Amino acid sequence: MSVCTDKFRTTAEAMARLHGFEGYRFVLVHHPIASLELPEIAQLAAGALDEVLAILEVTR
Amino acid sequence: MTGDVTASDTATGDTAASGTITNTLIDHQQVRRAIEHYYEEGFTDGLPVVPPTESYLAEFLAQVDRSPDEVVAAMPHLNRQCTLRVAAINSIMAGCLPEYFPVVLAVLDAMRVDVGARGATRFSSGLWQSTTGTVPITVVNGPVRLRLGFNCQGNIFGPGFRPNATIGRALRLIVMNAFGLKPHVLDQSTQATPAKYTCCIAENEEESPWEPLSAEAGYGPEASTVSFMMMRSTLHIEARSATRPDHLLSDVANSVGRTGGLYSEKTACLVVVSPEHAQLLHSHGWGKQEIREFVAENAVCTREAMERAGKTGISRDMHWLVPADHPDALPGEEPQFERRDGADVHRVLGSPDDVVVIVAGAANAGVSTVVDLMGGSSSPSGRGGGRVPAMSEIVTRGSA
Repeated sequence: MSVCTDKFRTTAEAMARLHGFEGYRFVLVHHPIASLELPEIAQLAAGALDEVLAILEVTR
Repeated sequence: MTGDVTASDTATGDTAASGTITNTLIDHQQVRRAIEHYYEEGFTDGLPVVPPTESYLAEFLAQVDRSPDEVVAAMPHLNRQCTLRVAAINSIMAGCLPEYFPVVLAVLDAMRVDVGARGATRFSSGLWQSTTGTVPITVVNGPVRLRLGFNCQGNIFGPGFRPNATIGRALRLIVMNAFGLKPHVLDQSTQATPAKYTCCIAENEEESPWEPLSAEAGYGPEASTVSFMMMRSTLHIEARSATRPDHLLSDVANSVGRTGGLYSEKTACLVVVSPEHAQLLHSHGWGKQEIREFVAENAVCTREAMERAGKTGISRDMHWLVPADHPDALPGEEPQFERRDGADVHRVLGSPDDVVVIVAGAANAGVSTVVDLMGGSSSPSGRGGGRVPAMSEIVTRGSA
């Protein structure tokens, strides 16, 4: 399960292709992360949770 | 130059200097087609490339006793390899002469350790796609410098010399074309440096009072070598009126210890000492080891400066410097400080061995350069390496 920020979308897709996983699903969150405070990180994680669970095929 | 260039009056000759076109041997439309083809294929670094041909390629391959199918570089995490033949094609495209090709191969041999083991050498990181925008810097030593006409004097980091320009460029084209490390895709550099086009310098052994870098690695004067390091940037040191070694090297150490260069607790550097500065140091009895020791001792950051820059915390996994109250900061952890002259200071170099020293440039001013290097003795990538950078001997056909 991979999560990356939207600024690395192209690179992530290219890496997946290189390893033979065209269309590999991963979760994108807004950039940046390194300069966020904890509440903002928590908000980002909460916003991504549904997509993470969907990729993992887990239902709440 | 004005007026249209037609099929009968074609390119180059002394055009660049005088505007006069004298070369009528080639058809400009064919030249243009070939040049544009490589742009369309995405095989350039933004500058035009020399179109390779099979006959010209054969001249390159004839320079060495190695198979064209030999894998000369690999990036396993990308599932990509570069054969000797592909390296030769990219060397042609970069503008190399055939006799430069053994130098390109020696660079690849030196860098193979770095790429293959993801940073097993001391002054590298294994990071070729990082947002930092790290870039190879290669240093040439030995008789090959004079034989091929490498510049080791004035304008050492600048243009004008074919071996320096094209060998460094060949390396860039190889990683772009063989490995696909292209901007906006697999190369994620946030800004990078102009050195990414090319950065191949030679040591000015003739005007150096000290043994060359190759000798530090145990090579004799008959050996020609290339050293491979990964750098982030070059910093200009203005010390034109320096008369004392401690003044000059304090300037150097102060530049190494600036907060902006620190992403983790420790760093490493290459000091490119100009001949004038080298003579000053030598006349006071200073050698490369004394330089290394002084810079390592005096490249420090004060706690105050690091606090002002928000770099007194250490992040959990990457061990990067972050603000002390950053969510990812390890509680209670900070860089190691020591008390000196009434202030808390942090040494940014782990050891004198984290300083590489060479002599290069013109003997016409008191100007030197500090190159920020990756790795170093305190970094995970540097622990397994020796004191000198990864280095390979240049081997031509029949000389092995």
